[in-house]
This record gives sequence, structure tokens and C-alpha cells, in this order.
Amino acid sequence: MSLVGPSGSGKSSLLRAVIGLQEPLGGMVEAGVARANIGILFQDDALLPWKSARENVALGLVFSGSERQRALDIADTWLERLGLTGFGDRYPRHLSGGQRKRVALAQVLAMRPKLILMDEPFASLDAIVRARIVKDVVALVEREKISVLLVTHDLEEALSLSDVVYLLSQGPRAHITKRYPVPIPRPRDPVRARTHPAFAPLYEKLWADLLREVGREHPAEAA
Amino acid sequence: MIALDPRYAWLRRLLVFTTLLAIWEAAGRADLLNPLYAPNPSQIGSALVELFGDGRIWPHLEATFSAALGGLVLGILVGIALGVIAAMVPVIAELIEPVMTLLNAIPRVILAPLFVIWLGIGLASKVALAFILVAVLIFFTVFTGIRQVDRRLVERIITLGGDRRALVRHVYLPSVAAWVLGNLKIAVGFAFTGACVGEFVAASRGLGYLLSFAQSTYNAALMMALILLILVVVLIIFSLAGRLEKRLLRWN
Repeated sequence: MSLVGPSGSGKSSLLRAVIGLQEPLGGMVEAGVARANIGILFQDDALLPWKSARENVALGLVFSGSERQRALDIADTWLERLGLTGFGDRYPRHLSGGQRKRVALAQVLAMRPKLILMDEPFASLDAIVRARIVKDVVALVEREKISVLLVTHDLEEALSLSDVVYLLSQGPRAHITKRYPVPIPRPRDPVRARTHPAFAPLYEKLWADLLREVGREHPAEAA
Repeated sequence: MIALDPRYAWLRRLLVFTTLLAIWEAAGRADLLNPLYAPNPSQIGSALVELFGDGRIWPHLEATFSAALGGLVLGILVGIALGVIAAMVPVIAELIEPVMTLLNAIPRVILAPLFVIWLGIGLASKVALAFILVAVLIFFTVFTGIRQVDRRLVERIITLGGDRRALVRHVYLPSVAAWVLGNLKIAVGFAFTGACVGEFVAASRGLGYLLSFAQSTYNAALMMALILLILVVVLIIFSLAGRLEKRLLRWN
């Protein structure tokens, strides 16, 4: 499921509230899964620069009580699954942007979350790297049956990856204005999903609605 | 233009340096230079040989080293401790920061005479001077460092389920270590400044004391020999500090 909406509609704040980094101003957050089963992936990878890739991945496992060696073994498995075999001993500084993103993903996935929150996780990557990582993420998420709440500016990304897309209204006091079920079947290839007959009409509708939301506050930008 | 091979940079430097020395020596021997101000390189060399030859340099070297290293270690430990406490307890920061800012603003070596009155002309006053020079530097390194710790790393640890202890161990400690190591060379320089200036002011031993002795006897050759010696000593310690930095910050 994806959240899209104009800048300042509080998409990131919503994710931060769900994971507990930020207190909601009012109301309650109900995620349906325990806090320990939620992972979060930010736009920047925020790996510890003084720890190697595998140590970074093992970190969460150690926090949840795993023995160090075991945690490192599990970390290696996840690095392997994300195509980083042999890169475990490198420090983040010596990895490319795409590789760091994969390490951050492994770090989250190793915790076996039921829900992953993603805040524009792929925005900083170039198109080709991005397409390849997104494809791997979709495959892993479908296989492990993990729910994902994705916040993105990219409507195509939202539609090609999600089962449902929610549109947030212009902030302040933003709320969900519309819900768009995406009838493209799974398992899905995120690139091919864009050529599904349901894709183009949905995209146009979502785009028009988003423009209308932005237009309410900034008439000039909607023109 | 001819492309310079960077591999032989040291060779070119050595060549120019020896040529300059040779010109200097020749000018001296031709009575073009007053040996009272500019002794020949050979005279400086023999002054050095003499210092080591009869072994009378060693107690002086030992005194300066003890003062500098003692002040360095104490300064780093106290600087870190104060920096950490100030960063964590706002009330303490309110009290310490203005004092440190003041100490940072003045040339701290002006405290040397005061330390002599308080602690005597022995080792303690030199350690104190080296200490105060280093401690203020390290305090600011740690204090501002902790306050500017990368928020994203802190959030990452929290969202991975890390507690306060994990934050200290995995984010704050390595950050502090990196900043302190990054300033280690400057701290070494400060420590030797403190030790030498302290000996210069009042002492019975040490390289600084020898320097002031050379000054009072108008012995330019000895003076230059000593400057050269201090230079070499600091360079050796710099390379050790550099190696330590490289080893501990190999992730960088």
C-alpha cells in the first residue's frame, strides 16, 4: 500500500508516528503488529560508517538478543539474498549508493518484520539501479509476505508496487481523500506492471486528483 | 612543461634542500655570513653531535617528553570527560562553556608564569601548561561533536530496537573517538608547545630550558640544533599519531 500526496501533507510524519519516532499530535496509531515487527527504511541509508556491511546488518539482531556470531551469520545470508555476497566486510564508505541501499534493506529484512515502512527509499538512486533494487524488493516482500507502507512522490512507483494507493490532502490538517485499489495481479514485475491495461487510466486519475489537491493551496502550480 | 613524476617528489625536495644547505655552508665559509646569527650547517651539525655525543641531551629530552605526554594524556582524558558531561547536563554546559570559550580565546601560554608560581619550576608546571592547551581543544571537539551527532544514525539505532546503552556504544562513542583522533595531531603539537614554553619560562631541565640557555649565551648553533631536534621529535610523534588515526579510522 502506498501513500502519495502533496509536499507537507505529513506523509513522513505519519510513518515516524507509526514507528514511534514522533508522538502523534492527537489520536492513536494502530498498526496491527507489534512495534518490534515493524521495520523502517528512510531515504538516506543511515548505516553506521564505522561498522562493516555485515556488522550493520547484524545490529538489529544483536539488539533483540541474538548472540553476535549467530547474528553475523544471519546477516551474511541476507546480504547474499540481496546480491551482496563478498561485500560483507566493506565499510559503507566503500560501497556504492545502490549497494548501501541494499545493506540498509538487509538490515531491515533480517529483523523479519511483518510491516516495513518506506519513506521515499529509492529517491536518491539513479534510474537503472533503482529499477533493479525495486524489482528485488518486490520479489522478497512477496515471498516473505511482508506488508509495506510506502511513502513516495512518484505516482508510477506507487501504482506499480501497491495493491492500494491512498491520496493525502494538502496540509496542514491533511487527511486521506481517496483510495485507489490497484487491480494488477501478483506476483508482479514492477516494470511490466506499468504496461498493464489498468495502469494508465489509474495513473491519469491519480495525477488529476493530486493536481487538484495541490491546486487548492497553490493555484499557480496547478495551472 | 615537463610532467613531474610524483614518485620522485622526495628526491627533488632532497636535492633542492641539500643544494640550499651547500650554498649556505659555502657562504659561511666565505665569510659572507656572520656566524653569530647564521652559523654554518656544519656547526649546527656538530652542536647536535655534541649534544648526543656526551649524552647530556637525554635528561632534557626525557623532561620535555614527560611533560608533553603527561599533559597530552591528562588533557585528552579531562577534555573528553568535561565535553561529555557538558553535552549531557545542560546546567554544567552553562557553567563550563563560557570559561572554556574564554580559555580558548586567550593565548593559553600566558598562564605559564602563574603555573610556575603555583607548582614550582619542576615538571608539574610544564604538565599543567601542556594540559590546559590540550584540554580546551579536546573539550570543544567533544562538546560540539556530541551535540552535532548525526540524528539519522540515532534514529536508525532506535528503530532497530537499540536502547540508550546501544546508542552510547554504537553512535556516541565511535563519533567521539573519531573527532578526538581527528584532532590528535593538533593536540600533540599543543602538548609540545606547552612543555617547551613552560621550560622556557622557568626550568632546570628540558629542551625549552636548553633553548633559553642557548639564547642567554648567544649560541645560535645550539639554538638551531635544538629547533631541529624538536622538529624531528614532533615529526616522529606525528607519524605515530597518523598511524594510530589511520588504523582506528580505517572505515573512513
